[in-house]
Amino acid sequence: MKPAALLVALALLSPPALASDWSVDMAKSHLGFSGVQNGAPFQGRFGKWTAEIAFDPAHPEAGQAKVTIDLASATTGDTQRDSALPQAEWFDVKDFPQAIFEATGFTAKGGDAYEAPGTLTIRGIGKAVVLPFTLAVSGDKASAKGHLALVRTGFGVGQGVWATGDWVALEVGVDVDLVATKSGS
Amino acid sequence: MRYHLVAIILHWVIALGILALIVLGLAMTHLALAPLAKFQLYQLHKSIGITVLLAVLLRVLWRLTHRPPPLPAMPPLEKAAARSTHGLLYTLMLVIPLSGWALVSVSPFNLPTVLYGLVLWPHLPLLPDLADKPAVEAVVKFIHSRLAWVLTAVILLHAAAALRHHFILRDGILSRMLPGRPTKEPRS
Repeated sequence: MKPAALLVALALLSPPALASDWSVDMAKSHLGFSGVQNGAPFQGRFGKWTAEIAFDPAHPEAGQAKVTIDLASATTGDTQRDSALPQAEWFDVKDFPQAIFEATGFTAKGGDAYEAPGTLTIRGIGKAVVLPFTLAVSGDKASAKGHLALVRTGFGVGQGVWATGDWVALEVGVDVDLVATKSGS
Repeated sequence: MRYHLVAIILHWVIALGILALIVLGLAMTHLALAPLAKFQLYQLHKSIGITVLLAVLLRVLWRLTHRPPPLPAMPPLEKAAARSTHGLLYTLMLVIPLSGWALVSVSPFNLPTVLYGLVLWPHLPLLPDLADKPAVEAVVKFIHSRLAWVLTAVILLHAAAALRHHFILRDGILSRMLPGRPTKEPRS
């Protein structure tokens, strides 16, 4: 088989890829999370993640996005917390290395406000969520900011004695701050 | 004859550490504290506990390789009492921190230990993977807390004996474990 034919065969085998037309500037983008432990708020970030985005502001309903997050890359600046997070009680990265957010069909809410309805999967548990975000496009640059409020136990994050809000609040937040350049499709 | 400076330093580091551990242990289990304060007391108790364990291991190693100064002239029964009290102290000073380490390792919280917020300290092997952690934890917790009371009693005996030698018998035994001052010679 010729190399070109092999590529075609591989392309046919793999699921239809998202026609990503924005390339995310990882150095300027930030994927963070927040929580409260023993009454003290803390902030964290994911160091490794990827985002594929297909979005035309003129046709938000045709937009698609897929964000894949490497959960082992979560850091909060506290050695104890950062050592606990990958364990079976929390993200359980051995069994579930990635969290995935897949959004299909964005909704324009007027002005620079949009919503991205999709499915968020953590620890193998997929839930329908809506990510509200604001979008600013200038030329071929775009920046999007959004905040998602979650209940961590809905995804099994915090097992056993941690499944109550006694020590770590059940309410957590995810902060998305994307800077992307239009790459054309 | 006085103890070697290394032995003196280790003795007082361990003494201060154990005193702090007893106070912290009582405070964190008996006081109605805010969650964050309580949590921090537990973390500090773990840090000091491991520090004491390491210091005791060094102390035992030093003791095994260095002859301590001989006891003054004492009735044979008192010599035997001193030797058994010291033996009991060493045993408890090893068993109690080890049981504390086991307690942390088997805890259903599976909370990593970070010494003084800086150095990640591992769990003991096997314990984190036990099937019935709460039941084992309850047993280890009982052992740890009860032995702490036994140690408190033995320390009081040890200190009372040292004070008796110093103030009543005046044989200079306490000065042998004090730094920075010339050894007090026996009066008799």
